[in-house]
Amino acid sequence: MRAYKPKGNVQAKPYYTDRYWKAPQVAKFDVESDEVFSADLAAIKSKFDVKEAFIQVEQMTVWINPSDIYEVLEFMRDELEYTQLSEMSAIDFLEQRDEFEIFYQMLSMSKRKRIRIKYSIKNGQAVDSISKLFRCADWSEREMYDMFGIEANGHEFMKRILMPYDWQGHPLLKTYPLQGDEFAAWYEVDKIYGKEARDIIGPELRDTAQVDRYDSERFARLGHEVPKGMDPDVEENKDKTQSYQEDGGVFMIKKLDKESSKVIDDPQR
Amino acid sequence: MAQQTNRLTPFFENITFDREDNELVLNFGPQHPSAHGQLRLMLHLQQEQIVKAHPDVGYLHRGMEKMAENMIYNEFMPTTDRMDYIASSANNYGFALAVEKLVGLEVPRRAKVIRMMILEINRLMSHLFWLATTALDIGAMTVFLFAFREREYLMDIMEGYCGARLTHAAIRIGGVPLDIQDTFIAQLKAFLDKLPENIKDYEDLLDTNRIWLMRMEEVGTIDTDMALSWGCTGPMLRASGVAWDIRKEEPYELYDEVEFNVPYSDKGDNFARYRIYMEEMRESAKILYQTIDMYHECVKNNQTELMAHAPQYVSAPKLDIMTQNYSLMQHFVLVTQGMRPPVGEVYVPTESPKGELGFFINSQGGAYPYRLKLRAPSFWHTGILTDLLPGHYIPDVVSIIGTTNIVFGEVDR
Amino acid sequence: MAQHKINYTQDGGLPVALTSIDKIVNWGRSNSLWALTYGLACCGIEMMASGASRYDFDRFGTIFRASPRQADVMIVAGTLTKKHAEFIKRLYDQMTEPRWVISMGSCANTGGMFNTYATVQGADRIIPVDLYLPGCAPRPETLQYGVMLLQKKIRANKAGRAQKAKRLM
Repeated sequence: MRAYKPKGNVQAKPYYTDRYWKAPQVAKFDVESDEVFSADLAAIKSKFDVKEAFIQVEQMTVWINPSDIYEVLEFMRDELEYTQLSEMSAIDFLEQRDEFEIFYQMLSMSKRKRIRIKYSIKNGQAVDSISKLFRCADWSEREMYDMFGIEANGHEFMKRILMPYDWQGHPLLKTYPLQGDEFAAWYEVDKIYGKEARDIIGPELRDTAQVDRYDSERFARLGHEVPKGMDPDVEENKDKTQSYQEDGGVFMIKKLDKESSKVIDDPQR
Repeated sequence: MAQQTNRLTPFFENITFDREDNELVLNFGPQHPSAHGQLRLMLHLQQEQIVKAHPDVGYLHRGMEKMAENMIYNEFMPTTDRMDYIASSANNYGFALAVEKLVGLEVPRRAKVIRMMILEINRLMSHLFWLATTALDIGAMTVFLFAFREREYLMDIMEGYCGARLTHAAIRIGGVPLDIQDTFIAQLKAFLDKLPENIKDYEDLLDTNRIWLMRMEEVGTIDTDMALSWGCTGPMLRASGVAWDIRKEEPYELYDEVEFNVPYSDKGDNFARYRIYMEEMRESAKILYQTIDMYHECVKNNQTELMAHAPQYVSAPKLDIMTQNYSLMQHFVLVTQGMRPPVGEVYVPTESPKGELGFFINSQGGAYPYRLKLRAPSFWHTGILTDLLPGHYIPDVVSIIGTTNIVFGEVDR
Repeated sequence: MAQHKINYTQDGGLPVALTSIDKIVNWGRSNSLWALTYGLACCGIEMMASGASRYDFDRFGTIFRASPRQADVMIVAGTLTKKHAEFIKRLYDQMTEPRWVISMGSCANTGGMFNTYATVQGADRIIPVDLYLPGCAPRPETLQYGVMLLQKKIRANKAGRAQKAKRLM
C-alpha cells in the first residue's frame, strides 16, 4: 500500500519531529505600554471595529474586519500620519482553517512607528483594492493575485506580474510544490518546441545530488578538459587535455612561454 | 523533425495593436543593454514622446520566497545573496537581523562593528557600480572604467574577508563567522584615503558635463507625494525631499554611535539622485573611518566574541565543538534540523544601498519559516516607471532607469 | 607615443606569412569573438567586471555588442527563468552562423541553487551550449579562460567546410 501523504501542505518537512516540543511564543506586549501606539489604537477604535491589538517586536499589530480596510488605511494616512505602505501580502492558512491572512505594513515617518494591519479572508473571497490610496499597492495586489490567487476588487489591471500571463497555478500556495507541477515542468518546452518535443528533450533533472564528475559528455573538469566524450583519467588521453595554445603556437600568435612571463603576486600593485 | 526550429510566432503578433490614432507601441527589453537586467517596458509613443508606459517584470523570478519556506533559516542565507547581487552582504544582514529580532539574540559588539564595516563597504560597492553603469548608459565610458577600478579594490578586501567576490554570505545569524583578516584595515584605509580624490575625479568628469546635465537635470522629476505613494525609499525618497534614512531614524547595530549626515534634496530629478549617491559615498567613508576606530577599541578591550551565545539557536565556537561533547551535539542538531524560532511575526527594515530592505517572517515554531516576504526596494522603484515615464522622451527612459537604480534579482526575487 | 619595431629581415625579408585558409579564417573568427550583452542575473555583473578596467576583455578581441545580429557568442550569464526561456530562443535564432554559446554559472548550466518551479534547469534545454563554466558566480578569470577554450575549439574546426548547424533537436 502506498503511504498516505497529506496534500494540503506539500512543503518540506523536518525529518524528525519532537513529540513533546511545545514552541514558545514571541512576547506580545500590551498596547498600553507605548504612548504613541495606544493613542493611535484609540483613534482607530473610535471609528472602526478592532478585533485584537498587541505589540510584538516593537511594532503594533491590529486585527480589523476585511470590509473596513480601505477606510482604515485612509484614516491612518490622512489623520494618523501613516503616510507609507511598506509592504502588503498574504499568508496561506488554507490547510489549518481555509483562510488567508492579509497584512499591510504601514510606516509613519513623523512618529517613527510601524503598524501592521491584519485581517483574514476565506478561500475564494476577494479583498478590496487600496491602489487608489497607495499607488504601490497596485503592484503588490497584482503580486498577491499571482502568488496566491487572491483577487482585489476595484483593481484596474488584475493580471499576473511575476509569472507569465499563460501560467497555471499560484506558486506560493502551500499546495504548490517547490519544484513545480506537471505544467511548470514542461512549460518552456511546450511553449517553444511543442508537446511532441518532450520525448527528445527529456524531463528536467531535479536531483541536486546527482553529480558525475567523470562525465565528459556533459562537463569537463577545469584544467583537465578533453574533447567531448573522452575519458580524462586514461593515460593515453593525458596529452589530449586542452591547453590554451597548441604546440608551435597559433598562426601569428607567439607561444606563451611560462618561463619568460611574469607572475604578478601583489594584486594591489 | 530535424530542421524544425520552434513554434514561437513573430514577436509583433504577440502584441495587440488596438490604438486609435498615431500611437506607436515600442517594446523595450527584456534583453536591452541599458535595462539593468531583465526589465521589459511596453512604451506607447506619440512621435518620440511617451504617453503610456507599462513595465513588465518577472523575467528573473526565481521563487526565493517559496525556497525560504522549504529551507532551514541558515540554509536560506546564501540565497539572499542573489537578491541584490550588487551589495549582497546588505541582504545577508537584513535576513540575519530579522531572525535575530524574532528569536531575540544579542550580537556581540565586535561582530556588530565588523558587520557595519561590511555593510558600508557594500554600500560603496553598490554606489560605485550604480555610477559606473548609469554613466555608461549615458555615454560616459571613462567614468565606467574609473568606477569599476575602485570597485575592484573593495572586492579584493571583501574577497580577503570571505573568499567570494560577488556573493559573499559574509554574515551569519547571531554574528559574523570570522574576524577580519590582518590586512583588512590597512587595505581599507589605503582605499578610503584615496576615495575623496576618486570621487572628485568622477565629479570633474560629470558635474559640469553638458551632456550629463542635459540628460539629468529636470528629467524624471518625482515629487514628494508620488514618492511616498509609490513606496519609494532610500536615495529615491531622499532626492524627493524626505530626509528619511533608517540608519538614522530607527538605528540598528551601532549606527547611533557613529556620526554621519543624511544628504537629501527637494529637486526630485535625476541630477538630485546622482548628487545624493555621490554624497552618500562620502558619508559611508566617514562611517568606515569611525568603525575602524571602534574596531581598535574592541581589540583593546579584549572583546573577542564574534557570535551570540545562544546554544538553542547558534552553534558554539569551533573550539568548543571540537572539544566538548554537548556543543558538538547542539551543532549537529542545528545543522541537520535547524533552529526553531518561537511562534510569531516580525518585520525588520534595514537601509540597504537601494532603500528599505525589509524581511517579514511568520514563524509557526517550525524549523522552516512559514512565510517569508522579501520587501525589496527596487520592486516599487520599477513600478514608479508607470507614472514617471509618460511625458518624457525616449532618450530619457535610459537615464531614468539608470537613476532609479533597480536590480532585477531584487525586483523579481 | 608607442613605437612599433618591425623586423623586416625575418622570413627572408618578406612581410609575408604563408598559411592555409582554414587557419586564417579561424584565426580571425577566434580572435574577434563579439559577445552579446546578455547579463541575466548575478553573473552578468561579473561579465561586466570582465569587460571593465581590471580584467579588460578587449585584449581577447571580445567586445560586447548589444544586438544579437552582430554577435558571435552568446554568454548566458545568469539564471534563465521559464518566463524568459522564450526570449533566449528568439535571440539565439537572430544570431548569424557560426555562433557559439557559453553557459556561465551554475544557474545557466543546471538551474544551480534555484531548484524551483520558475527556473529552467539548464540553458541547454532550450539552445545548444558549447561551453559550461562552473561557479556561482564564476570569477572574471573563469570567463576569460572559458573564452580562451572556446577560441581553441574554434581553431580546431575546419573553416572551409559548410558549417553544420547546431540544433538541439
